[in-house]
Amino acid sequence: MEERYVVLPFYGLWKMFQDIITIFANSEARGYLFQGFWHTLVITVVAAMIGLVLGFIVALVKIAATQSKLMKIPGVICNIYTTVIRGTPVALQLVLMCTAIFAIRGFTPYAAVLTFGINSGAYVSENIRAGIYSVDKGQLEAGRALGLSWGKSMVKIVMPQAIKNIIPAIGNEMIALLKETSIIQMVGSTIGALTFDLNVASTTIYYSKNIPVNSYVTCAIVAGVMYLVVVYAMVLIIKLIERRLRKSER
Amino acid sequence: MKDNFEIKEKFDESYLLKVSGLFKKFDKLDVLKGISCEVKKGEKIVVIGPSGSGKSTFLRCMNLLETPTFGEIWFEGKLLTPVDPYLHKTIIRKSKTYNKILTELLTANPDKSAEDFDEEIIERIKKEDLLKKNEGSTFNKSVKELYNQFFQNINVTRQKIGMVFQHFNLFNNLTVMGNMTLAPVKLKLKTKEEAEKRAIELLKRIGLEDKANVYPSTLSGGQKQRIAIVRALMMEPDVMLFDEPTSALDPEMVGEVLELMKELADTGMTMVVVTHEMGFAKEVASRVLFVDEGIIKEEAPPKEFFANPKNERLKEFLSKVLI
Repeated sequence: MEERYVVLPFYGLWKMFQDIITIFANSEARGYLFQGFWHTLVITVVAAMIGLVLGFIVALVKIAATQSKLMKIPGVICNIYTTVIRGTPVALQLVLMCTAIFAIRGFTPYAAVLTFGINSGAYVSENIRAGIYSVDKGQLEAGRALGLSWGKSMVKIVMPQAIKNIIPAIGNEMIALLKETSIIQMVGSTIGALTFDLNVASTTIYYSKNIPVNSYVTCAIVAGVMYLVVVYAMVLIIKLIERRLRKSER
Repeated sequence: MKDNFEIKEKFDESYLLKVSGLFKKFDKLDVLKGISCEVKKGEKIVVIGPSGSGKSTFLRCMNLLETPTFGEIWFEGKLLTPVDPYLHKTIIRKSKTYNKILTELLTANPDKSAEDFDEEIIERIKKEDLLKKNEGSTFNKSVKELYNQFFQNINVTRQKIGMVFQHFNLFNNLTVMGNMTLAPVKLKLKTKEEAEKRAIELLKRIGLEDKANVYPSTLSGGQKQRIAIVRALMMEPDVMLFDEPTSALDPEMVGEVLELMKELADTGMTMVVVTHEMGFAKEVASRVLFVDEGIIKEEAPPKEFFANPKNERLKEFLSKVLI
């Protein structure tokens, strides 16, 4: 009992250090971490793909809506989509998707991934739209004046220039998405399921009887460092892509 | 009303480009207030006027970069804009409104014939915009049919209308060669090899063949504009539109661009040039238009235009520009 009141400098850090050793020495804990890490990656990559494709389409529809009457209604739908998705908490969207819209046994993890994708798409679409608008209007006009259709001018002239401006914002969004996926624990934390992500892994390690760790913080920090590693890898990839694209300028 | 209207004032073959009754509104701002102009093959038209007079808009309407509010634009026998019924007397004469007014007037004045009222009724219909108010769907359908008869996809038409912009608008993501070959290759007018061969030829002509593989950002303004001109020439256009091609250039570089334009004019290219270069207008133009407040205020061959301008506003303008 008295031990609790003995406060030594760096005592907490020493305990944490012990915990870290425990976690990495324990094969069960390593297994959880690896599984969580892998699932987090899968969720993020799939959601990012969905988000990018969706965002791209929505951005194009929104811009086309300003050009032709035919696209007016799809444009309105896209506007509602971005407003609702960006205007409500992602936690709400997640619960709604997994318990109401796709209340199918076993489908929960996929519904969750889809939610993240749809959520990300709304933000990505605005980034892409901003990127397209950042390209000088004259570029499109020059393409049109040569007889290229709107679509062809967009694809061949405007988009390649827009992408350069979009990449940093998209990178930002992808990083945010990676960390946002941690709320997947709201809809399940079964070991082995796709919902068992890095964040869930850290909690599981703390509560596991076979892994003698002292504090939850240590588990969270270990998971946090792994998030950081992924984010840093993403940053490097983004930089690489950017450098590639900027090459064409010189 | 089943039969199609016949446009008597149909496209005149001697004109390459015909603009009639052009109106353009930006929200509530009237930029163009009824411009009509014909460009014959080989003619060089220079459009001058103060800033904000609508001359650029006028030029941009010619290849529909701006959609006119009213009016028609004809290019090589093809209609670029919807049919404007008010511009065609034959259409007005066939409308119900015309016949209604005519019978009313004839019963009131039985001693006169239909021809006496013709002009009067047409004027009245135009002024009071009666066709839109009174005519039904059959009339609109006929007008639409007429339009379809002369309609051509704007992208096809634009291939034959070259355009040079004030700010060059070279594609920044492509090399000079890419800029020049993109449109002809994408539109399947030339194979890649043909297009590249032609591009090199044109670049040699302007002395920039060594720049074929550089990006536009490394070029000077004059070089950019000259490349923009040959890029438009790659499509082998029948008419070239120049939207203040030298306004964004350093004074040093204006000469080289004008030189190229003069060369182009000598090859017999039809040109419409919006510019502030009076020297160029005097030397090259076959006709000079003075546009102010959205209308053409004076139209004359350059000698007469500069020697004895008739319009007051033009006199004032020239006195300020030609010092």
